[in-house]
This record gives sequence, C-alpha cells and structure tokens, in this order.
Amino acid sequence: MNYFISGGCKNGKSYYAQQVARDTAREKGLPLYYLATMIPTDEEDRARIRRHLAERDGWGFETVEQGTDICSCLEGTTVDGNPVNPSGVFLLDSVTALLQNEMFKTDGTIDLGAADKLEKELTEFAKKTGNTVFVSDYIYSDAFIYEDFTEEYRRGLAQLDKALAKICDQVVEVAYGFISEYK
Amino acid sequence: MVLIFGGAYQGKLEFAQDNFDIKDSDIFRCSEDADLDYTKKVFVNFHQFILGCVKRGVEAKDVLADNREFLNDKIFIVDDISQGVVPMDKELRAWREMVGRTMLYLSKESDSVYRVFCGIGQQIK
Repeated sequence: MNYFISGGCKNGKSYYAQQVARDTAREKGLPLYYLATMIPTDEEDRARIRRHLAERDGWGFETVEQGTDICSCLEGTTVDGNPVNPSGVFLLDSVTALLQNEMFKTDGTIDLGAADKLEKELTEFAKKTGNTVFVSDYIYSDAFIYEDFTEEYRRGLAQLDKALAKICDQVVEVAYGFISEYK
Repeated sequence: MVLIFGGAYQGKLEFAQDNFDIKDSDIFRCSEDADLDYTKKVFVNFHQFILGCVKRGVEAKDVLADNREFLNDKIFIVDDISQGVVPMDKELRAWREMVGRTMLYLSKESDSVYRVFCGIGQQIK
C-alpha cells in the first residue's frame, strides 16, 4: 500500500509518516528504509541531518541516501553497505526536497522540466515498491506574490502532489498532529 | 451557489468541471482590474478580483451583497491564502484579510462548500 502524506511545516507529518512506515514493515515483515533526500550544502543542513538521525534512532530504519534520480536507489545499497530490497517499506521524506534537487541544480542552472521528470520517476517508484510513504509539504496557502522561479516550483510540487494523491491508496493531511483522510 | 476553495494549483477548476455541468464559455477568469461578468456561471481566481477590490478601496463582500440576486447559479473558485506568514506588504495583508471576510460571506450564502486538497475534493457544507 502506498501512502501520500502532506500538510504544513512542523505539523507532525514526519512523525506520523514514520509510524505508518514502521507499522507497515512490522505487519508485513519487510525491511524498513528511510530515504534521505536532502543534499547537505552547509553546516545548518548537516546539523538538521544529525537531528533527524537521532530522532529516528531505535525505530529500525536503514538509511538510503538518494537526492536525485530516485529510482536508482532500488539497485543501490544502504549507507551501511547492504543491498536495498525493492520490496521493502520506504519512507520518502520528502517530495519537496527531491523537486528542489532536480529543479535547482548545484551548478546554478534551473531545470524547468524537473516536475515532469519526477512525476514519471515517482510513479515508477510507487509501482516498483508498492509500500512507499511519500511525504510532501503543503505550501499553497499563503498570501504572497512570488517571483517566477518560486512560483514555478510551487506549481511543479502541486503537480507531483496531485499525481501521487491519485495513485496512492491512502491520502492524508496532517494538521498539528490531527489527521484528515482524503482517501 | 457553490464555493470551492483550496491552496494554489490544487486542481480546483478540474474538480468543478468533473462534478458540475460547466462549458468553457461558462468560465469567467477574474483579474484585478475587470468587473465581474454576471452572465457567466463560474468565477475562477476570485481572489484576484478581491485583490483588485483592495486596490480600489472597495469591500468585495459588499459588491457581492449588492448583486446577491445574480449569484444563485454561480460557482466561486477561490485560492485559500490564509495559512502563510503575515505579509510584510500592507496591501497583501489587507488582501489576505479581505479574502477571509469574503470567504466567510460566500460559505454562509453557498448551498454547498468544497475544499480541494491535492486534486481531491471534500464537501464541508
């Protein structure tokens, strides 16, 4: 079963997603993977990663790092060097970071085709694994007029969210720890 | 009268087209500087009309109340802009608040209200 979870920043999405992923893995007796998508660029990012690692300590996750070309991790290894089992349970946190990595390249260029590319890849990822918890961020309800690239990023993320909400078996919004099930 | 709201790019118009009988010629795309065309059935981007009201110093819900008799068959599609940081810009702050007041009026007057989340609509009235 694939899950799509979204909601505002710091609303308890990751915690809820971790529970869903862990419970699914336990129930089905499958390996449990945390798909780390952020590519650290400075000390602030590295500190955030350390904090997340500490938060997941004891949950039974094996960490897989993949910032771009997400499907290729299914043929790769975990950070501990174990081969990844594509039938495992994957917590993909987050779709937001993946789009950022694919759209705003480290060499400073911007790929306006990133959302289309990722839509295909994430659809393939959901199909291949069958047990993925996708986490995204609901960034569509503020009163601000953004410059073009940020607006394009918002439009692209919404494209991915809608595609995932369509193909996932369960769609959930987390608002300050409260859960709304849309599907 | 129907109100459909949700964040930007959530598929609100598509939801309306899937669930109500709407022809392309029924759709009026609101903008800051155009008056509402009451011969049309669907007001899309209604928050843009409200931004125009802010700029002209007019209260959007008063405009609606003054034209209430024309609104019974209308579908209003509005971006929910209420959930971000309070804008630094005075005009955007006023916009955010006027959209809120207008949505309260629309949700009260509407026979049904839907919120669209990632392409999925949920009826809340």
